[in-house]
Amino acid sequence: MRKLAIAAGLMAAILPAQAEPTLEGVASGLYELEKTHAFLTWTVKHNGISGYTVNFTDFDADLAFDAETPTNSQLSVSINPTAMNTNYPDPDKKVEWEAELANDARFLNAGEFPSITFNSTAVEQTGDFAGTVTGDLTFLGVTQPVTLDVTYGGVANPPWFGQRDVIGFTASTTINRSDFGNTSLGGVISDEVVIEFSGEFLQAEE
Amino acid sequence: MSLKTLIISGASVFALAACGGSETPSIEDAPTPPTEAEASSGELHPLLAEVAAATYSLEKNHAFMTVKVGHNAGISDYRISFTDFDGDLTFDPADPEGSSLNFSINPMAVETNYPGDYKAGHADSGWESWNEDVSRDAKWLNADAFPEITFTATDIARTGDLTGTVTGDLTLLGVTKPVTLDVTYNGVANPPWFGERDVIGFDASTTVQRSEFGMTAYIPNISDAVTVEFSGEFLQDE
Repeated sequence: MRKLAIAAGLMAAILPAQAEPTLEGVASGLYELEKTHAFLTWTVKHNGISGYTVNFTDFDADLAFDAETPTNSQLSVSINPTAMNTNYPDPDKKVEWEAELANDARFLNAGEFPSITFNSTAVEQTGDFAGTVTGDLTFLGVTQPVTLDVTYGGVANPPWFGQRDVIGFTASTTINRSDFGNTSLGGVISDEVVIEFSGEFLQAEE
Repeated sequence: MSLKTLIISGASVFALAACGGSETPSIEDAPTPPTEAEASSGELHPLLAEVAAATYSLEKNHAFMTVKVGHNAGISDYRISFTDFDGDLTFDPADPEGSSLNFSINPMAVETNYPGDYKAGHADSGWESWNEDVSRDAKWLNADAFPEITFTATDIARTGDLTGTVTGDLTLLGVTKPVTLDVTYNGVANPPWFGERDVIGFDASTTVQRSEFGMTAYIPNISDAVTVEFSGEFLQDE
């Protein structure tokens, strides 16, 4: 799983970045997730031999971004655990499997815990466009500190958003699900869960 | 975790997840894994020592293939999954470089996880969904004209005990170009419901330039470079 996390990091590093990121001229203030360009996945190791990756398909985030002093920024994320896409091949079983994954007490237990949340508590800068965001992750009713490795990807100004800035980020972390009380099927499904995000935030309208 | 734990636990999750509860193998069904000494006594790496030289087919319930492109000139990565693809692998643990590999991908089956109502925001689109647009539009995968994406390995080189490169011919949009995958072999599992058949797992990735296959729409706002990632399992054929 560590190898997976490293591989994910390498992938992020070699992914195309035509634009040299800049923070110059980027508006400080409130940004909202631009949901049509935002991806959040979790990956566990299955049978010790492959990565099993599932997309969260309904999540939101608010970012109070300070372009001058990024470490003053604040991030809050909310995830709907009933909205996942496993890409399971058989369409009927896909529905069953995703319902089970969302609702079974062994998995995300969404009936009892209908929201997964993350609220940042500390932001550190580790490079010009890289940093860590530590925060409280609440999952299955348990709150634990988690640190995200974050890369700022730059700013865009698509004309249909007028003067509003769009800023992009990639983030990842690895948690142990046992820290949140989830230990089911511990041999065949890894304790480690790699969480990856890449997406855009749109400056909120005044 | 020990291999034995893995196998025993495997029984329960598969009964739950994949087999719909139809099979509930007991602990006694689990094969005895090799001890570390047995596994390392040969010349092969322990993770290769107990693997059958055989033909394998993709275990589609545990196989993922995604592509990522940079969006807005690279400020974020846009992620698309292929949801219907197959693979055949001939694998000899004593001679991985002699393996053969074929992949076939159905470009009609993509998943963008587009949120909300696509038609509401794209009234002028001729397609019913963003997934359909990506699959069928002539500027994207043009799947009506090119209903299959294929990859056929031509040359395999080992770069480490468990890593290598697989070079092959990628045919996309009717254009065939050599592409090299970076591959990691992750090991073997023997879930009891597959009897004596081995299951082996791999990660693979590569980056292609889509313009080389004639797809140039929105470069560079959407990157020319496309990163392809695979992780999944292959089941020994009966």
